[in-house]
Amino acid sequence: MNARAVTSDVLLGIAPIALLIAVWQAIASFGYAPATLLPPPGVVLMRLAQQLTNTTFQHEIAATLFRLFAGFSIAVILGVTIGLIAAAIPAINAVVRPIVRVLAPLPKVALYPALLLLLGFGHESKITLVAADALFPILLSTYYGASMVEQKLIWSAMAAGTPRRQILFKVVLPAAVPSILTGCRIGLVISCIVVFLAEMITSTEGLGHLLVTAARTFQAVDMFVPLITISLLGLILNGLLQGLRSYLLRGFPEV
Amino acid sequence: MISGHALISRLAPLLACLGLLGVWQVAALILSTDSFPTALEALRAIPSILGDKESLINILASIRRMAIGFGVAIMVSIPLGLMMGRSRGVASFFNPLLMVTYPVPKAALMPIIMLWLGVGEVAKILVIFLGVSLPVIYHSFQGAKAVEEKMLWSGAAMGLSAMQRMTRIVLPAALPEILTGCRTGLVLALITMVTSEMIARQSGAGNILFNSLDMGQYDTVYAMIIIIGAMGIGLDAAFEKLRSRLVRWSEPGFDIPLSFA
Repeated sequence: MNARAVTSDVLLGIAPIALLIAVWQAIASFGYAPATLLPPPGVVLMRLAQQLTNTTFQHEIAATLFRLFAGFSIAVILGVTIGLIAAAIPAINAVVRPIVRVLAPLPKVALYPALLLLLGFGHESKITLVAADALFPILLSTYYGASMVEQKLIWSAMAAGTPRRQILFKVVLPAAVPSILTGCRIGLVISCIVVFLAEMITSTEGLGHLLVTAARTFQAVDMFVPLITISLLGLILNGLLQGLRSYLLRGFPEV
Repeated sequence: MISGHALISRLAPLLACLGLLGVWQVAALILSTDSFPTALEALRAIPSILGDKESLINILASIRRMAIGFGVAIMVSIPLGLMMGRSRGVASFFNPLLMVTYPVPKAALMPIIMLWLGVGEVAKILVIFLGVSLPVIYHSFQGAKAVEEKMLWSGAAMGLSAMQRMTRIVLPAALPEILTGCRTGLVLALITMVTSEMIARQSGAGNILFNSLDMGQYDTVYAMIIIIGAMGIGLDAAFEKLRSRLVRWSEPGFDIPLSFA
């Protein structure tokens, strides 16, 4: 692909977003919708810029990010560990597999009331919900990645005298890294979404809480700000993970 | 005759359900607090919810909204995804827009959409539609992109029009991937439905869940969790049956959906 094609792709990709903002601006400025329902994009952006420098708003972001990372980290640790063990030991796989089959399609958000009752209204219940939702994509992609490892690689390692225990860490884990990272990427987006929703349902702080407060007082501008913020956070975190991926997978073919 | 091994693998999910309920029962007995009833108590509350006319109507209305939202979403998303997969221009037109909207929690749009469209059915169906669309578009896109060029060339050489190539070559070839997307979308429809009802607090299954939480009817809370969970597992299993019939010829991919909110 030459540079010119890339530029035209980028331009083509910006078009619908620009179009969307233009239509938004047009609806607002021609008065089809009152500003209380649909504030013009300029006002929303100004408000966003103003809020980002505001310390209270930064505290809300910090609360959301803390829950997001805590939940996501638990999901990564549990997911990768359980996935690897299940792929390596058939007996454990026989137990884990049916449980995962039952729990994976379960709408985890329905568990939230139970988590509230058991863990209280603070950080714990939200972190647990985030971890529960992000766990399964990471666990499944670790499992599939680890069970797809070429048998030849394992045989070669054994022939070279690697002890059985170390094969898991020296052969299987590195070979499964691309698949694990794909799972982490899905899990990260899920964490963003779930933390926001949990904060919307019951919370006293965080971005989701800001949206609900704005909705109760019909502050349309303040409703858009947290939504745009979480979208930006999602994009930034995704970009960071992408960077980590290309660092970890340097030398891998076609990544 | 079913062999012993096949029987075990068929019964395994059932055993897992029983095992989880058993763990719950034991944990509740050990903790023994009001806010954590035992599994048996929660199961006993289910008939009274499903027997109550109002809550049954509420739950059925939720399912109806979910079905409409899901149906409309796949009718729009599959053609769009297939077109994105076959045309680079269409793909680069829509990709960034989809990427930006991906991390936005769809159920969080509920308050804004309610502000515009009111609290009626349309707002709730629209939110479910938005939630289902993205994974279906993504998987249809991936499926259509992976279709072998040679097959399309052969089709064109045999005189198939562009439209016919789309429906007779690309669609069947991408079907396994599309159905994977639909399966994720189905679980997602349920999640979005419950979440948006929890946020809007108007009617539906999610509303019953949180109303009973507010009123301290803990048996009802846990019984609703079991009902919603059973819906998720049941829908997923039913769809998997359908999928394996439709694309029996293809290699099974992930046999558990990568569901998310």
